Amino acid sequence: MWKGYFKKLAAVMLIAAVTLTVAGCGKPSESASAGTDPTSSGSAKVEVLNLAGGDNGYPSPFTHSSRGPGFSKMWLVFDSLLERGEKGPIPWLAEKWEISSDGKEYIFTLRDNVQWQDGQPLTAEDVKFSFEYFAKYPPVANETLIDGKSFIEKIEVLNPKTVKITVESPLAVALGKIGATRIIPEHIWKEVTEPQKNMTKEALIGSGPYVLKEYDKEQGMYKFEAFKEYWGPQPSAEVIRFLPISASGNSAAANNIVLAFEQGGLDIAEITPDILAKYQDKPDYKVLENPSFFGYRLLLNMEKRSELKDLQIRQALAYAIDEQELVEKVFRGAAVPASAGYLSAEHIWYNPEVKNYEFDLEKSKQLLAGKTLRFKLLLGNSNEEIRIAELMKISLAKAGIELEIKSVDTKTRDAAVKKNDYELVLNSGGGLGNDADVLRTVYTREASAPGSVTGIPGYSNPELERLAKAQLYEMDPQKRKEIALKLQELIAQEIPLLPLINTTGYVVYKPVKYEGWKYMYDHHNVTHSKISFVDVK
Amino acid sequence: MMDKKMLNSNLPMINTGSEHGHSKFAGLHLLVRAVKKFSPIGKAALVIAAIIVMMGIFAEHLSLFSNNLPSGYALEAPGKSHWLGTDDLGIDLWAQICYGARVSLMVGWGTALLAGIGGSLIGVVSGYAGGITDKVIMRLTDLIIVLPELPMMIVLGAFFGPSLKNVILVLALFSWTEPARIVRSKILSIKQEHYVRAAKSYGAGVWHLIRVHFLPSLLPLVLVSMIRLMGRAIVAEAGLAFLGLGDPLSKSWGLILNHAINFKGIYFTEFWKWWVVSPITAITLMVVSIAFISRELEKLVNSKM
Repeated sequence: MWKGYFKKLAAVMLIAAVTLTVAGCGKPSESASAGTDPTSSGSAKVEVLNLAGGDNGYPSPFTHSSRGPGFSKMWLVFDSLLERGEKGPIPWLAEKWEISSDGKEYIFTLRDNVQWQDGQPLTAEDVKFSFEYFAKYPPVANETLIDGKSFIEKIEVLNPKTVKITVESPLAVALGKIGATRIIPEHIWKEVTEPQKNMTKEALIGSGPYVLKEYDKEQGMYKFEAFKEYWGPQPSAEVIRFLPISASGNSAAANNIVLAFEQGGLDIAEITPDILAKYQDKPDYKVLENPSFFGYRLLLNMEKRSELKDLQIRQALAYAIDEQELVEKVFRGAAVPASAGYLSAEHIWYNPEVKNYEFDLEKSKQLLAGKTLRFKLLLGNSNEEIRIAELMKISLAKAGIELEIKSVDTKTRDAAVKKNDYELVLNSGGGLGNDADVLRTVYTREASAPGSVTGIPGYSNPELERLAKAQLYEMDPQKRKEIALKLQELIAQEIPLLPLINTTGYVVYKPVKYEGWKYMYDHHNVTHSKISFVDVK
Repeated sequence: MMDKKMLNSNLPMINTGSEHGHSKFAGLHLLVRAVKKFSPIGKAALVIAAIIVMMGIFAEHLSLFSNNLPSGYALEAPGKSHWLGTDDLGIDLWAQICYGARVSLMVGWGTALLAGIGGSLIGVVSGYAGGITDKVIMRLTDLIIVLPELPMMIVLGAFFGPSLKNVILVLALFSWTEPARIVRSKILSIKQEHYVRAAKSYGAGVWHLIRVHFLPSLLPLVLVSMIRLMGRAIVAEAGLAFLGLGDPLSKSWGLILNHAINFKGIYFTEFWKWWVVSPITAITLMVVSIAFISRELEKLVNSKM
């Protein structure tokens, strides 16, 4: 009991310290935030936004971590031709674009007066350079690769404001992929040959709305300041701080986050359903429920355990896991059972008709036909993962499948997934609201780009691969949607990996302080959205 | 038993070992007499420790429910069927506390026995042999004493893998120095006693000396130090488990605490009232009672010397 109080006390003291420093730093810029842009959506500019931090790498396109928090910090500094808005992609560095009738040529017109953060102008040459540089030195997320090679044939600068990109064949996803590629300054990167090792100040000169001022890797602290000469929608905060209160679900972080939020040390906090009542329908607070675009899944390594190539065994596994129990016990209701067809129920192309593996031990035993199996299950060390694993172990044991659980830290787990060094692994990730092309990258093997987590080791299905390819080259959205629906049906029937549950979860903030939080159309976390931090209508 | 040995050790005459025949019967009698000398607090501590030992031994029969299968709703408050409530998975907490007692006792006794016996043997060798052997062994104990215990345990635990056996081994590795040093200094002083020198002059061998002269006077000392080690080992195991470095399947008190504290927002709910409080109470009661017992024993031993 005393231990509990001590923890609380320690947390309170920590928060007090944090608030004091924040308050101290915030003061001088008070008068600067008075004027509001007449074109703005009405959310006033704030001095300091405080968010939960954690180390997500140096936010250059080459050195940030490959999960949401890493990307979102890099996006604050670097712009792309299009950005992800609330409803879909929105024009960003590119004011407008044209696509030729054969679907192979894209002509982008850049905005006027776009500046790099060192004062140099951003031109079409920089755009061309970025694509060419990324082809040579892949960034963390290499958007321009399909099946491990670039789909871009050539890039021509028509004039300082216009760039023409020619692709090898008409692709349904080309615009999204080109649009999401970050633009980096040629005058800085042209000499750099080892971008992964480039941790200089210059490496963080982008054209984005914020400039990184401080970064403490050990503590996981970042401080971004608004870029005064930003071309576009105005930065909503003078300063964004990511404070050294871990945002990961590990240890007592969640308690500290809620405490810090209550004390005013944080401006937005993730909360659990158990404490929802404290904030819901209270005038001082606003609660958002996240869309279920983040999920936990069980990956099967059919290379290491060839018995998993047997469809009946995969289905037996699926039937023997009680997703509803996971939702209720581990997530306290803040989740939904995942569709066996992978895409989230909130995805625009979600297929509700797919095969459903409702918990059924009898069916599972029938499919196993008396076989008993034993697997090693690898997982991360968050409390959720450990509890999911414990419940799965209990229910699978009833069906005759023994699990040997091994918990390691998240980075070790991610590395094992990349190297296919596991039998079964419990993995989690977002992207369930992404373009349906995600099905191709997740389920087909040859799509694996270096360094990315795709494909199912030891699994191949010609029909699945055919459909996955077909949707990629289908330019008619209606026809493409039909293929995507069919693809989900096949995936659910084949169940090459087991989607378990998709989390929803809640965030709470104080509208008085800042209310510009927005979801990107395909993402589950408002603190990851670039549009949360700039004043877009 | 220890009382009798202590008396023996203080007699300035040569032990013949002839009374060992009826010592088994007399031992119990003397143990009762020793317990009677305990202060009221000591007696209470003894009762609590005995209850916890019973909980560990009869865990299966004491709880209505399994300690690793869900048997109720998640996070039920303490009530008629679930005496201490349930955890987030719906597993009965009373059952977990009972089994946790077993784990804690196993770790405590395992470590204490291993470190106590190993440490005393090393101490005897060091004290009796003297010279270069003594110097080497004593510098080794110095080395182990100055090593920061917790970080080393974390590293070794991670290296050997988290199993109960490894936890015991690692804890023993860091606790043998205390009995070793106590035993050595005792041996050094007994070595000079007249009766030992007399026995030697009559041609007594090393083993005879250890068995007849050293052991009886060492046992109480080693026992006290072992009981103290036991308390420390239980706390250390709970600490490792709390940090998530213990055996994830051992279901010790520390692990219950680990799960409870890692439950998001536990202090903003009322779940902590049973989920956090019960393992902490168990650990505290166990460790405090062991500390009192060891203090009482120490008093007895010291007053006899």
